[in-house]
Formats: sequence, C-alpha cells, structure tokens
Amino acid sequence: MSQRTPWEVQKSVIYALFLREVNVRFSAGKLGYFWVIFEPLMQILVFVMVKVLLFGNNSNFDYHVFITLGFIGFNIFRHVVDRSLGAFSANKGLYAYKQVKPIDALIARLLVEVLVTIVIAIIFILVGLYFDFDMNPKNLGMVIFAYLWLIIFAFSVGLLVAVISLFFESFKKVVKILLSPLMFVSAVFYSMQDLPQAVGSLLYYNPLAHFMEMIHGYYFFVLDDGFVDYQYMAIWTVIPIYLGLLLYRKLEKGIISI
Amino acid sequence: MIELQNVTKYFRTPQGKHYILKNSTFSIPSDVNIGILGRNGAGKSTLMKMLGKIEFPNEGKIISDKSFSWVMGVGGGFQNNMTGRANVKFVCRIYGKSKAEIDRSIEFVKEFSELGDYFEMPIKTYSSGMKSRLTFGLSLAFDFDYLLIDETLSVGDARFRKKSKEALMKKIESCNVLLVSHDMGTLRDICDVGIVSHNAKLHYFDDIKDAIEMYQDINKKG
Repeated sequence: MSQRTPWEVQKSVIYALFLREVNVRFSAGKLGYFWVIFEPLMQILVFVMVKVLLFGNNSNFDYHVFITLGFIGFNIFRHVVDRSLGAFSANKGLYAYKQVKPIDALIARLLVEVLVTIVIAIIFILVGLYFDFDMNPKNLGMVIFAYLWLIIFAFSVGLLVAVISLFFESFKKVVKILLSPLMFVSAVFYSMQDLPQAVGSLLYYNPLAHFMEMIHGYYFFVLDDGFVDYQYMAIWTVIPIYLGLLLYRKLEKGIISI
Repeated sequence: MIELQNVTKYFRTPQGKHYILKNSTFSIPSDVNIGILGRNGAGKSTLMKMLGKIEFPNEGKIISDKSFSWVMGVGGGFQNNMTGRANVKFVCRIYGKSKAEIDRSIEFVKEFSELGDYFEMPIKTYSSGMKSRLTFGLSLAFDFDYLLIDETLSVGDARFRKKSKEALMKKIESCNVLLVSHDMGTLRDICDVGIVSHNAKLHYFDDIKDAIEMYQDINKKG
C-alpha cells in the first residue's frame, strides 16, 4: 500500500466520520432537517413574543436580529459541548481500525455542527432580507471573527468535558443539566448594559456572556463591546484546550482499547 | 520482519496483573504465513491487536515496516448502527480510496459476502457469521502485507468456509497471513511457521507441525 502522511490519513478519517455523522443525523425518518431549523425558530419566536408582551417593542435596535444572533451563538456552543460528551463512545466500533482516533470523532462532530450552523445562518439571512430586518452590521468581519472564536471555545470546552467524563460517568449528566439554564445567564436575549450592576458583575464570570456581547456589540451601531474582556475569553479558550489535550494524550490508548 | 522488543503486556484484574507477555524479545521473519496457537486466554487475540495497533504494549515496542490489515475477529470491527454498505464505504474512505475505487470495492464485497438484502441493513441485525463474511470480504478489497485473522475462518456454514479458504489461498500468493485458529487442518494448510503462546511466553517454530505438536502437548497436560 502506498504510504500516506499522518495528516492525510487523519484528514480522510475525519472526512469519513463527518459523512457518517451527517448520514446518521439526517437519515430519513428522523426529521433531522426539520429539527435543525425548527429548534432555533421556536426559541426565537418564544423569546420575541415574551419580550414584546412584557416589555413592549421599545428597543433601539432590531430585537429579532439581536435574539437570532444570540441563539445561533448559544446553540452552537450548547450543541458542540453536548455532542462532544458522547463522541468517544458513539464510535467505539470503529476504533478497530488503527487509523481512527477518538479525537477525530470529536472534530467530525464539531464540523457537523459548524455545517448545520452555516445552513441555519443562511436561511435566517434570507428570511431577514425578505422581511426587511436590520441586516446592516456595524462590523461584519468582527461578527464573523466572534463566531469563529466561539466555535473554537466550544470545541475547547467540549474536549475537556469529554475527557473528564471518561473518569466520572455522572459528570456527563451534570454538564447536560447545566447546558439548558446556561441560556438565561449568557446574554443571549438581553444586553448586559440593561442589567443591574450587581447581576452584571456576577454574569461577568460567564465566558459565554462575553462572546454574546462581542457578537451583539459589533453588529449593532447602538451597542458596543464595553463589557467584553478579551483576555478572559482567551484564557477560557486556551486553558481547557491545553488541559483537554494533555489528558487526551495520556488516555487515548485507553479509550481505543476499552 | 516483525520485531518484538522487550514487550510486556498485562491486564489489571482484581487479583493483580495478568500477564499476556513478559519481557518478550522476538522476531518473525518475512514472507511466511504464521499460525498462532494457544489456549483460551493465552493472549493470542491481544497479540493480534497489538500487531494491528489497536492495543498497546505496557512496555517495549513492536517494530515492522509491513502493513497490517485490521484484526478480523469474530463479530468485531463494525459500527452496529451503520449498514453493511456504510461500513464498507467508511473503511474504504479511511484507507484513502477514490470514489471509483469505493464503488468497485462495494460491488466486490457485496458479491463476495453473499449477504443479499442484509448488506443494506444495520450491522446489529447480523449474525456473527455474517459479520465475519463482511469483514473478510472487505479485507480482500485491499492490499496488505499481512492479513490478521482471528478465528473468522472457522465461522459460517461449510460452503462459505470453503469459499473463504479458497479466496484466502489465492490472496496469500501476494501477501501473508497471521492466523489464529483452533482448527489444526486450516493451520496446516495455510501456515508455514507457528507461534505458541503459553504462560506469558511466545514459542516460535520453523514448522507449523512442531507448533501444533507443542500445543497438543500443552492441552494433554491440562
């Protein structure tokens, strides 16, 4: 057999796992396509309604767009972390092939989530253009950069929790339980500037809130990134990925041969 | 050439370490077909997995410049919720086959394995004989230096066993095989040299017949 470089091998493995994941997620009978679109749509509609009913339609920015940006960002984080938890065990049968490493499964799942998010984003952009929402971002480049950073952050956290849950099975459950209420403390559907000081300084410790503020701050002319601490976000990106990779390297052989 | 350098392999059990290999240094010459014998639990499958690089020595190294297939074990090596076809496609992709090659391999495996409609069904619906047919058929679609076969030739019905054996005889004209089997006839027909795994040691024999003799002696002693 012709020799391929390790990188070529890994690329073909990730690609094969990616296609497998897409196939499983969107196979007939599972309504995969439907849920992917329906979930964020419901979130957005519910929160827009709650906001309009309780507080009236008095924002000085387009609240529909604000909340859509927030949920796209929050969902990618939640889904990447959630899917990472099961990635190692879901592909166990395939470790019979020496090319397939557990981390490839993690990367493949990340790529599926990125693909899904891109599709959703395109659909929402088309909807936004059609209904004439505020589709004029202050700094599109920085908005995209914020999302890309968020994806890396999500992968970083996903890797760490996936590795930790190898030690403690119940850790998985804890993470899954925490992921939903996280939505309420992550500045997804409100801006930090509207919160009382005390609450704001508490939410400051949630890195996800910084990402949301960064996205919103660069999209809307009337908002800014005053709340955002870039150094804090960087620490939250680098430390989990460092610890995650460190533990993963020690455990890889064990994950393969269980 | 396959070289084992000071290889130690054990499993932790509540009673302490259970050794499969203890500081084994060993070399297996090239271009021979190798039969591996040993009693249940002697570590034959673990040795195969170490050669296939999905199980790793606790100490020491295994060095070889040859390419090895995956370990064709009874029932192993497939993702249960994927169909036979999807599994074949997956394996072709990870070995870097092109689209045209993948299509050709799928056709070949489908025909060889004689799974019929089951080829489009998830692996979890397969019997262990069917899994063996699929994994063996799939391995024939690749060119390895060594095929790692762990008992799979001894499952399936008589007719398919005969067909597999014939296919294997043809295949080993261009490659070699490492074969774990409890069927002395198959070992004698296919293998040139033999290794007996016993009491955490490997015993090498230039002639498979001598290996079979030692294995039978071990069994008599009980």
